[in-house]
Amino acid sequence: MQWMLWTLPTAAFFIGIVAILIVMTIWQFIQPTRERRGWIIPMRTTRGDRLFIGLLSSAYLTALWVALVPLTSWILLVLVVLWIVGLILFG
Amino acid sequence: MNNNRFADNRAWFLVLPATLLVAFSSLIPFIAVVNYSLQIVFNMNTHSFVGWSTFHDALTNEEFRGALGRQVLFTAIVLAIEVPLGIGVALTMPRSGRAVGPIMVVLALPLLVPWNVVGLIWQIFARGDIGLFGAFVNNVLHINYNYATGSVSAWFTVVLMSVWHWTSLIALLCYAGLCAIPGAFYQAARIDGASRWAVFRFIELPKLRGVLTIAILLRFVYSFKVYAEPLTVTGGGPGSSTTFMTEMLTNTAIGQFAYGKAAAYGLLYFLIILLISYVFYIVLTRVGTSEGDQ
Repeated sequence: MQWMLWTLPTAAFFIGIVAILIVMTIWQFIQPTRERRGWIIPMRTTRGDRLFIGLLSSAYLTALWVALVPLTSWILLVLVVLWIVGLILFG
Repeated sequence: MNNNRFADNRAWFLVLPATLLVAFSSLIPFIAVVNYSLQIVFNMNTHSFVGWSTFHDALTNEEFRGALGRQVLFTAIVLAIEVPLGIGVALTMPRSGRAVGPIMVVLALPLLVPWNVVGLIWQIFARGDIGLFGAFVNNVLHINYNYATGSVSAWFTVVLMSVWHWTSLIALLCYAGLCAIPGAFYQAARIDGASRWAVFRFIELPKLRGVLTIAILLRFVYSFKVYAEPLTVTGGGPGSSTTFMTEMLTNTAIGQFAYGKAAAYGLLYFLIILLISYVFYIVLTRVGTSEGDQ
């Protein structure tokens, strides 16, 4: 594992991703998702589709932020979490 | 609670071997690349965390944006030429008769040549002194053409080479699509007195939609990751005028040993490919459904 050069931030990132997948799995067992059309995405999506779209768009948002905004990325983290949660619930 | 609430997911076990293989060959290296991308890596024992600075550099420096811009331009030009040309070739091919076999063989020939050999063929073919094409352009047409010194010549060569290599793929796929259209459609068009253009616009093109989507997807992927062909002919030059993303990545990672920077470049490249693949996936899976027609 030494060659992978783990650092605390990247480890936290991947643990976060795994945690999201676990939570989504449990949520699916409690309340299975239905394909539906929401407010933001102009097509029918399941909860998993919306998570994927949320993560992908967040990556682009992060790239834009890193390139343009000289502020701490904790603000970005809050924005991204709000965006993904919003997208999964209402997107 | 009834048992029908959940789909039977046991079939997923069948993809377990493939998943393990992908995890070993792609996922674990990918995670390592994410780790590298936030660090300056001298070697496996000497590395330091630098946060977003590699990404900030990548997104603001000319090297990355230049290579990405050239990559996008190359893909756009190549698709804009190859797709109409491929459809055109497919339309002019006979649907039956003795000529079909030889035509198919001739069309399939460029597809069988490996990438680096295609590069080698064109490197010699386009040379001004001993290459047939290069000598013809220089001495008969009297156009100053040298792919090693002129960036316009270099681009022309790289694009022409790609068109030579890959138009056949689109032509063959479209030909298969055209052959699958039932004759009744053409009879109906003839009865209605439809023009050749109307037949193409309202019968052939809609019927080709699925095939064309796949053809464009394949050509997009191949041209967006193009490496060996331009590298063999121009070596990315003159200057960096034909240095595309893959070559720039290789130079950064293996030439300069700047693993952190190369990892950041690679991840940004991956994000673009991921987005476009997802869009194609949506188009492919929803084409023909009521959703796709809205």
